[in-house]
Amino acid sequence: MNPILTFLVVLIGFYGLSTSDNVIKSVFSVTIIESGVILLFLNLGNFEGGSVPILSEGVTQIVDPLPQALMITTIVIGSTVTALSLMLCIKVFHHYGTVEWKEVLSREDVKS
Amino acid sequence: MVNYITDLSLIDYTAYALQFLLIFIAVAIVVHKNNGTIIILIASFSLVTASLYVINNAPDVAIAEVAIGSAIIPLIYVISISRQREFIVLDKAMDDFIISDNQFTGIGYILLKRFSDFYHLELNITNDPLLCRLGEGKDQILCEQTNVDLIVSKDPASGEYILKGKASNILMNKLEQMTKDYDNIRVIKFKDRDFGE
Amino acid sequence: MSRQIVLILLLGALFAVFTMSIIELEGLYNAFGKEYFLEYGQSDTGSNNLVTAILLDYRLFDSLFEAGILLIAVSGVIWISKHDIEEKNARFMIDKFKTPDLFITFSRLVYPLMLAFGFYVIINGHLSPGGGFQGGTIVATAILILYYIDADKETNIGLIVTVEKIVYLLIIVLASVSIVTRGTFFTNFFPLDATQDTKAIYLVLLNVLIGFKVALGLWTIFTAFLKEGR
Repeated sequence: MNPILTFLVVLIGFYGLSTSDNVIKSVFSVTIIESGVILLFLNLGNFEGGSVPILSEGVTQIVDPLPQALMITTIVIGSTVTALSLMLCIKVFHHYGTVEWKEVLSREDVKS
Repeated sequence: MVNYITDLSLIDYTAYALQFLLIFIAVAIVVHKNNGTIIILIASFSLVTASLYVINNAPDVAIAEVAIGSAIIPLIYVISISRQREFIVLDKAMDDFIISDNQFTGIGYILLKRFSDFYHLELNITNDPLLCRLGEGKDQILCEQTNVDLIVSKDPASGEYILKGKASNILMNKLEQMTKDYDNIRVIKFKDRDFGE
Repeated sequence: MSRQIVLILLLGALFAVFTMSIIELEGLYNAFGKEYFLEYGQSDTGSNNLVTAILLDYRLFDSLFEAGILLIAVSGVIWISKHDIEEKNARFMIDKFKTPDLFITFSRLVYPLMLAFGFYVIINGHLSPGGGFQGGTIVATAILILYYIDADKETNIGLIVTVEKIVYLLIIVLASVSIVTRGTFFTNFFPLDATQDTKAIYLVLLNVLIGFKVALGLWTIFTAFLKEGR
């Protein structure tokens, strides 16, 4: 039941990415998709009766630590990609004067 | 099915409640139109996912998500969105086109106000003496390097007002359309050069 | 409107496929890696936190490239925003609203606590949840508060970027020392039969360097955003 609800978040992010009318909203939607995928990976590794993967006294069964290490890398990389794409959005606004997709695309057709 | 619901422990209830809250916040982010409201929703989305990471036995990932998603990402969004609400005009003509008696009256001001209200932008008129003293040839560099959108100056020979802006700016078309009826206002558009030159 | 309906139908089909395939997932999962980490993780690397052991010993190659991606992103942001690195001023952008005095006083109280907590999380990476990446972002958040306290602060971006590159080279050098003592690249350079406290020295050193690098990189990104368009 838990992975199914998490996949719903990913699908909502996809819907937001396809029907967004300005550039900033697309960047929001990519962040939602990425958080949903990370939650899905951690959900699939978890099981009942397992404990946090830190060794101390009386720990017999641990949750798999490998997906958690990969997800830390994913979070850091996702945030840097967001920062870079927002810098590009600021540049688009300076150049075209607006952030709507439709106006920018129609302007390009007129030019070429 | 009823046995399934009553066999859940407290942690499972919390996990289900948080996941439904997550779906609700995601739908709210997709539906809203005002960009400023969405920033607060992004910060709360990040907080709810961090709680879900702890419930799934992953505290390392939760610390990383809280530090990045609640402090750094909303600050960057606020900076990039707050620049998009203003329309900055540099006023080089020092007579009563825009200002008279230290108040914003005049034909030019009414025109610009109507123009910026149409696009829901905030009008910001400045007459910085440092920028005004640069020569005529430097106007294009001024438009490209800083975030000035429009330069108003007065031609001393013919007495008409010249408005200069970038050619790739979509708002200049609307400005040209609006000033067609006034024959003492002329609009000049700079062609853009290559990026990085 | 019809495009949105088609979109919702496609996403619904994707959802149905996922629901049908998630039921058979239990047969695919195997537990060999988990058993190995539980049995040999502490004696190989010398850390109680198994996630840090994976990030800094078993898979150090991935962490090196993650730090490299941060460096590339920082240089990309600086190049796109098109200002000179030689400039020394980064003025704060909210200078038409004055920040409230209550906020400035509270930030002065909180700022040393945030720095101390960030250093604590970096150094105790091998005993409790934490590590280089997490502590580095907390230290970067603490430094950002300085922009609110002191509105006329001058930041030298060229110096920060140079220090960040030197720290990255130090990380690579520290990771490659192990070819001399143990014969393979990118692992702990103490021999396998040393005590746990000795092996933890390498982990603390590497965590501190990675924390420095992440904090400096995020500080540079934020300063480049503030200077944009001023």
